[in-house]
Amino acid sequence: MAMLEVTNIHTYYGNIHALKGISLTVEQGEIVTLIGANGAGKTTTLSSICGLTKPRQGTITLEGRDLTPTRPHDIVSLGVSMVPEGRGIFARLTVAENLDLGAYSRTPNRQEAEKDLGEIFSLFPRLKERYRQVAGTLSGGEQQMLAMGRAIMAHPRLLLLDEPSMGLAPILVQSIFDIIKSINQRGTTILLVEQNALMALSIASRGYVLQSGQIVLSDTAHNLRENEMVQKAYLGAG
Amino acid sequence: MKPQIKSSLNAGLTFGIVTLFLYLIGFTTTASQIIQNLLKLEPESKVLGMDALPFSFALFLGLIGLWAGARQARAMHKGQSVGVVLGSAVLTGLVHGLIVALVAYVTGSLNASGVKLNTYLSQLLPASVQLFLFDQPPATGAFLQLGFLTLTSFLGGALVYGLMASDIFGRLAAAWRSLWSRVNDLPAVAKFRASPAFNYVAYGLAAVFLLLLPLRAGQYWNYTLGTVGIYVLLGLGLNIVVGLAGLLNLGYVAFFAIGAYTVSLLTAPSPHGLVWDFWLVLPIGILAATLVGILLVVPVLRMRGDYLAIVTLGFGEIIRILSKSDALTWLTGGPKGVNNVGGPALFGRTFDDVGYLYLIFLSVLLAIFVTRRLQNSRVGRAWESMREDETVSRAMGINILRHKVLAFAIGAAFAGLGGVLFAARNQFTGPEDHNMMVSINVLSAVIVGGMGSIPGVIAGAFVLKGLPEILRELENYRVLAFAALLVVMMLVRPSGILPASRRKFEFQSGDESSNRGGEGSAK
Ligand SMILES: Nc1ncnc2c1ncn2[C@@H]1O[C@H](COP(=O)(O)OP(=O)(O)OP(=O)(O)O)[C@@H](O)[C@H]1O
Ligand SMILES: [Mg+2]
Repeated sequence: MAMLEVTNIHTYYGNIHALKGISLTVEQGEIVTLIGANGAGKTTTLSSICGLTKPRQGTITLEGRDLTPTRPHDIVSLGVSMVPEGRGIFARLTVAENLDLGAYSRTPNRQEAEKDLGEIFSLFPRLKERYRQVAGTLSGGEQQMLAMGRAIMAHPRLLLLDEPSMGLAPILVQSIFDIIKSINQRGTTILLVEQNALMALSIASRGYVLQSGQIVLSDTAHNLRENEMVQKAYLGAG
Repeated sequence: MKPQIKSSLNAGLTFGIVTLFLYLIGFTTTASQIIQNLLKLEPESKVLGMDALPFSFALFLGLIGLWAGARQARAMHKGQSVGVVLGSAVLTGLVHGLIVALVAYVTGSLNASGVKLNTYLSQLLPASVQLFLFDQPPATGAFLQLGFLTLTSFLGGALVYGLMASDIFGRLAAAWRSLWSRVNDLPAVAKFRASPAFNYVAYGLAAVFLLLLPLRAGQYWNYTLGTVGIYVLLGLGLNIVVGLAGLLNLGYVAFFAIGAYTVSLLTAPSPHGLVWDFWLVLPIGILAATLVGILLVVPVLRMRGDYLAIVTLGFGEIIRILSKSDALTWLTGGPKGVNNVGGPALFGRTFDDVGYLYLIFLSVLLAIFVTRRLQNSRVGRAWESMREDETVSRAMGINILRHKVLAFAIGAAFAGLGGVLFAARNQFTGPEDHNMMVSINVLSAVIVGGMGSIPGVIAGAFVLKGLPEILRELENYRVLAFAALLVVMMLVRPSGILPASRRKFEFQSGDESSNRGGEGSAK
């Protein structure tokens, strides 16, 4: 059974038909990437999975369990957590409080929380130095690390990442992708939305290409990189 | 033109306009009278060879002059020589004085030739015009004005220069700090501070103070303190809704009204004749307010920000209008309100003003305790995240609907308690006790004090409800002085008098943090 199975979902914003029958699967332990132009529906796909925007049609199942009627806060407890587009850190709370809120769905005891923090700090040593700082005063890169750390605090089995490289310097992009890979190696399944298709396809095993609310292509990452259309549209070749 | 000269001219011009404005609205006369009263001068007495009123006016004008000079010297102080600093103070005074003297001369001459200026500007009474000239003939008065303003401006400048150059305040602060740390470093003191006894002693002293205060303060101040206490209660409740959960509720008075009407209708002999016991009605009032809070929040759960503010504002007004409506007089007592509201009694004795104040203190302490527990709990954290970004906090696994309802319900419970205490103390409740200004005042107390901070709310309630009483001396100008104080306070401490520590940080670090904050919360 696939970890995540999205079948033919249609999501609307009022009258705007944002997703027109998206189907995709993510297997346990994979990194799958979703690429597409601005406004294609990538963010909407992720928020449909989280339950923030409910599809009007179609089903989403997590390990066989139907998520469509489940409320967003319950979906988090089922092991799905998201790093939102534009990071979405709580700017006026401290780094510590942001991380704490990440674990909200679990209510860890003190020991567990310490252990989690140790893990976060080993992935993002910067956050340790900034632990008591107000999150809004972090640099863009640090905010991205915080957003990822916060999502990991929920102990997700499926982590949804929405454009983690947005607005970061190339050297930081590389290290963010390294971190994504190492999170995956620790056993977290990842669905990655990216504008930086080249980078995304280099760490993913499979990918989907989204265009105006529909999947137009799905293949292994390797094949997608060789694909002429993908090269033209997303990899800047041709 | 040299920038120093330009800046002095500017300052002189500004102060000239301000002084003239005060003159034209008649404030110069009023201020002189207030000063005369404050100094307890008899109208007929003479001070330094002057009549009492012109002397008071000279004091007032002198203060403005000092202020102008001091301000200009302060602005100039950095990196300038004594000569430049004092020179610019004098120049400011000269310009200020010239403008004022010119107008004083013109109005004085017109007045002397029998033109009734007060037909054009109602406050320019002959007496005011004369007072503005120190009761001298126009030419003499104008020269006095010019000389006096220049002199005081120079004095103000010299004073500031002296203070700055000798760095008196810096040295005093340093001396105080060193004294403080030396005392703290004494082994006995350090040991005492570290021991739990320190907290007990501090709380004990506070308790003794709160116990003794009502006995000493007298009826009038007990009443005022009681009102302040009730506003602290309301402020703490609204602070949860607005400060923590970020839900802008402008109809907060509605819950206050529900509490007040519950106690009134259930304990007063008319209109219902249910003379229930206060202690029984107290929890009923709180419960009623809480229930209404929950009922109100359900339809507005999906609204955010401004929409929520407008709907709640309307709700507050609806409650007031209903309570006032003739059609509902059988239920609410109508526009005349409810009289003879029952108060609390213990062992057969009804509470006097002192007992009442104790009851209010107790309620406030309880509210502080509850707020503190909530603030540092998971619920408080969830509220704060909701305030920061609702969508993201939903994605964090927070049940937004439940937390919104909870915030509204707890806020309403505090307001209900406040309403019960208020109506029972006044032995009366009526529609006009529950107008929109109550919501606005409470919100102002929260903002002026410092959003999200308990000491801040207490300070804010004192400023908003206590200060106007202290300013009663100023009579008609009370509201003006009060407004001016509020403006000054917000300029000096934009994040509130005693802000929550996090907010303090946020505003102090200035532009950079707010930019990044914006970026972080952009959606
Ligand atoms: N809150 C909303 N209200 C109305 N329309 C929306 C809303 N959010 C998204 N849309 C529309 O839905 C479509 C898909 O948007 P979505 O944000 O999912 O795109 P995206 O692929 O994430 O784009 P980007 O790469 O720019 O982030 C767009 O046409 C967008 O205009
Ligand atoms: Mg997007």
